[in-house]
Amino acid sequence: MLLVYLLISVLAGVTVVFGRIINSNLAEKIGTFQGTVINYIVGLSFSFLFLWISNETITISYASMKTIPIWAYFGGIVGVMIILLSNYVTPKISLFYSTLFMFIGQLFLGIMIDYFVVHNMSIGKLIGGLLVLIGLTYNLSIDKKQEA
Amino acid sequence: MNIIISLIIGAIVSVMILFNGTLLRISGNFTSSIIIHIVGLFSIILVLLISKSKFKINKGIPLYLYSAGAVGVFTVVLTSISFAKLGVTLTLAIGLLGQSLISILIDHFGLFNTKIIKFNRKKCIGLLIIAFGIFIMTIW
Repeated sequence: MLLVYLLISVLAGVTVVFGRIINSNLAEKIGTFQGTVINYIVGLSFSFLFLWISNETITISYASMKTIPIWAYFGGIVGVMIILLSNYVTPKISLFYSTLFMFIGQLFLGIMIDYFVVHNMSIGKLIGGLLVLIGLTYNLSIDKKQEA
Repeated sequence: MNIIISLIIGAIVSVMILFNGTLLRISGNFTSSIIIHIVGLFSIILVLLISKSKFKINKGIPLYLYSAGAVGVFTVVLTSISFAKLGVTLTLAIGLLGQSLISILIDHFGLFNTKIIKFNRKKCIGLLIIAFGIFIMTIW
């Protein structure tokens, strides 16, 4: 059974990359703003579909809405910025590098958020992240040599 | 330059996770996803209006190009199934492994009309260091 869940998390990663390429390909055909509109319309429709299929109920009370800060509702705006930037960069460098550098950026800001907001420093993440960066830099240097 | 943009995208992803994670405290997966998509849709439509871009759908675009939004919702589904059984750290580490492997495959074969970037065997050393880094993050 564990294998099934490992496979599911691999697939979750695969869908992230698929989504990024499809968005950037659509952007090249109809424009990046227009493509993003399509992305959100389709995504919204599928969110409703899954809500309907799943047994999740919409139970947001006004009282509970006030318990979280207002910025928590603006993830969608942040998501738009990500798609627009990703549409710009995805066709320009190898997918492998964009994937891993996005991960590094995410990891190090994540570590900083943990440190300044939660006051918690993860040494493992820091060391692991540095190793990922070293491995990437090594592979980039191979590319440089090939070009030279 | 493109590397710096990628790093910035990753950093913004962290901010998004913080925002969306906070929203998840008061609502389920799909309810959150609906709120996130409505907010996103409004903001991109606003961008479209301000930039006065024309919206025109050419015919003959392959159907799969419209599927990114659906793929994104599948990411939410798969991630939440995995979170429940494997926990956050393992899900993210294995997910990153999935992202890296599929990226190498797509680069190598130029799938989805991307530029072909053949895999160089010398890069296995870098890959091992990367894998070891992810392993350290998962167990520490």
